[in-house]
Amino acid sequence: MRSTRRDWLRMAGGAGLASLQSRLLAGFEDWFQPATTAPDEQVLITACGICDSACGIRATVKDGVVRFLEGLPDDFQGQGKLCGKGAAGAGFLYDPDRLKYPMKRTNPRKGLNEDPGFIRISWQEALDTIADRIRSYRARHGPESLLFLTRPSPDVWVRFMRALGVVNRVDHRDECFQSDLVVQRYTIGGKPWGNDFENSRYILLFGFDMVTKTKLAHAHGVLAAKQRGAKVVLFNPEFNTTARLADEWYPIRPGADLAVALAMIHVIVNENLFNQEFVDRFTNFRQYEREIRDHFARYTPEWAEGLSDVPAEAVRRIAREFATQGPAIVPMHKKALAANYMNATQLAHAISILNILAGTIDRPGGRYFARTVSIPGVDAIYPPPAYPRVEGRRVDGTDKLPLVREVECGSFSTLADGMLNKYPGMIKFAFWNTYTLLGFPHPSQMEEALRRVEFTVVMDTLPTDTALLADIVLPSVTYLESSDLVPREYSARTPQVVVRQPVVPAMFETRSIGWVAIELGKRLVPEYFRTPTGEWISPAALLDERVKRAGLGSSFAEFRSVGIHTRQQPFTPRTTFATPSGKCQIYVPEFAARGYDPLPVWKPKAEQPSAEYPYYYLTFIPAIHRRNSTQNNPILHEIMPTNAAIISRTLAHRLGIREGQMVRIRSRMGAIELPAHLSETLRPDCVMVAHGFGHRTRMLSLAGGQGVRDGDVIPSRAIEEYVAAGNFGGAGCIMDAVVNIEPL
Amino acid sequence: MPGPYGWLFDPRLCIECRACEAACKQWNSVPVGVNVRYRVVRIREYGSWPNVSTVPVSSACNHCENALCARACPVKAYVRRADGIVLLDSSRCVGCGFCDQFCPYGAPQMNRRSRRMEKCTMCADRIDRGLQPACASICPTGALTWGEWEKIRDRGVASISGDPTPNTTRPRIRYVHAP
Repeated sequence: MRSTRRDWLRMAGGAGLASLQSRLLAGFEDWFQPATTAPDEQVLITACGICDSACGIRATVKDGVVRFLEGLPDDFQGQGKLCGKGAAGAGFLYDPDRLKYPMKRTNPRKGLNEDPGFIRISWQEALDTIADRIRSYRARHGPESLLFLTRPSPDVWVRFMRALGVVNRVDHRDECFQSDLVVQRYTIGGKPWGNDFENSRYILLFGFDMVTKTKLAHAHGVLAAKQRGAKVVLFNPEFNTTARLADEWYPIRPGADLAVALAMIHVIVNENLFNQEFVDRFTNFRQYEREIRDHFARYTPEWAEGLSDVPAEAVRRIAREFATQGPAIVPMHKKALAANYMNATQLAHAISILNILAGTIDRPGGRYFARTVSIPGVDAIYPPPAYPRVEGRRVDGTDKLPLVREVECGSFSTLADGMLNKYPGMIKFAFWNTYTLLGFPHPSQMEEALRRVEFTVVMDTLPTDTALLADIVLPSVTYLESSDLVPREYSARTPQVVVRQPVVPAMFETRSIGWVAIELGKRLVPEYFRTPTGEWISPAALLDERVKRAGLGSSFAEFRSVGIHTRQQPFTPRTTFATPSGKCQIYVPEFAARGYDPLPVWKPKAEQPSAEYPYYYLTFIPAIHRRNSTQNNPILHEIMPTNAAIISRTLAHRLGIREGQMVRIRSRMGAIELPAHLSETLRPDCVMVAHGFGHRTRMLSLAGGQGVRDGDVIPSRAIEEYVAAGNFGGAGCIMDAVVNIEPL
Repeated sequence: MPGPYGWLFDPRLCIECRACEAACKQWNSVPVGVNVRYRVVRIREYGSWPNVSTVPVSSACNHCENALCARACPVKAYVRRADGIVLLDSSRCVGCGFCDQFCPYGAPQMNRRSRRMEKCTMCADRIDRGLQPACASICPTGALTWGEWEKIRDRGVASISGDPTPNTTRPRIRYVHAP
């Protein structure tokens, strides 16, 4: 491809240059894609690993150094482009603070203010030590004494955990899309990762800064829809980037998204505006019509207005437009740092119903199930011996949320409570991969819980706060040094796979989590890590086998030179759904059978403003950062080095707070002190703080000591609160906090 | 190569992702932590709650027709290429900062470490290879584009609310659908 362009330039000569210039020109129907490469440069295709959009990358490497990262033209998700995080990706690779080799701690005292006294050890020693620890804790205290916080979890790692009979495997999904995952399993038979914005005419967003703070794939879709005349409506307490691009924006009261969604269902059902054909053929609406009509009769727009501050006539009109001016869609990829309140499981159900009533489930303009290339996992390639039964207590208490367990999820928000109060001393061993304390509500409580764990392993690219508490740290590769096959999921009406390949060799002694799984597996559960012919499973052979069986080529080496595979196939909408009844279930009898609400009911968020804590506390992910993992990247750090308390000017005036003045934000959980930033873009009863800052460790030379942890004022939870509140999807309540604000 | 070239920016399409800033830093190896950012995205806020609006602006050197920076420089460290790109030869810079005082856009910036000024080159090295400037080439939505000035000049206005007057410098930037 690259030589073609150079040749063409050479052949075209002077006359060609003029036409080249016209193509260079902004315009821009046909954007010029740079494709020339200098002779000493090499271009490699890979996939970004910062967020799950995993946009395709063209990496220019010069003299073995990554020179530039740009988008891969044919990729469905990035569509030939990268966001700011992706463009700065080389900064992760060349971060001088990276963990370079395995280390063990020599200072037995653990804490964020303790120097761990790390000393370098060999991989051999690290793996042998970890394996010994796991072996002895498992034998003496059972598998329930092992805690694994790992994501991404490649299939060999999952095999390793299953072979050990690990019961306590927790990841962050409760703070993200877990309630969505739990609910939609029963409403439509799985989580539809795809949003067909391009063909949508009406995009309704609840607390979702879709355009900028999530995935490039989503931003492309929404903008394309806008350009084709779709209407975008947003309910959000902040006038954010999406609000600026939306046709209508309503500064909704935090936690009241559910009220508006219920009232919209009320209008659509009451006025019979739903998609008759879809609802009659593919849903259980008629079967439960009386229950449904009776149930939603109470949720009038007037009722919703009182809770949400969204005018009743607006709710009514939007409901009518949504139902009749479709195809319409309510995306809900993630509620992380969007509408993630105690009532978010109910909200997930209500939103799912809105999509069902619009008749766009797996239809053009709606939420669809990704059409992906089937890439066989390790269990399909090398069938394992039977796995042991998973037995033991869930330290995060989610055995009390059986539907959460069905999707093999857990709960970050209740983990510390379980470790400290419910089952003190139960967890002896913890293995962390990429997660940090900052990802938890009330991180100091999690810190305390982790300090009490006898032996902790942290695998990461960087020396995070969690690494400070580790007994052994393992250096991880970055995504730019990894190998994988990355199917498109967010934009996949037809299947597409992009390669992930090392654009430079892995630096220092860094390894992948998959390699660690196999090495630990050999030591602990060897019968699970042999091929049928008796050799050890090797990551390279496994990858080759995957490529072959997925029909991507004869070997990984072959596929990595191609880089991208697109399979053209027609999009055939589903007519049966993977629910127990085979239909889309508005009324979910399985919820009723478990004692949950079969239809979404109004519940307030957990924390309500009071005399002591009069303001809503909101948190957000800035567009330029990814969770708490990017703050040490030099370019991203320079663009946004720290966080501030965003406060409305009206409120600041009332409280006597000036721009830049230090303020103390206090909740029942704790307090943070940070400078105020005044803005007109936020409700005057709210304060908002960016997530991802407040790393304590000075081993992060840029991010360490910068900003505050937004989580320090967010309550962690006990599982009983979830059960009592009907939060059976285990939504992590990241936005559910109220605070006091005082100038300092 | 022909020229001159210019920027075209459409605030309505900007998603504030900062890819232009990041790609600029990456391609040009602009040192970090020395207060030099060739391209910067800033969000301007207008109105008052709840009738509020915001306008993102991605700005860099506008390679003005009347480049006051070059005229102010006492050591002639600035050169204008035949294609109109205004370049600063940092090795000749004595760090007096006059250019910064005359540039209404804050394009020349003092590198705190070297004590010399630096500035956006419009990625002249990329242009010479038939590539777009890094910022425009990576912009995911087409909010920031680049091209021949002849074809950009009439596509928008030269300044938006909050900008300095363009009348003296005649910057090579246009804003589409400015608010």
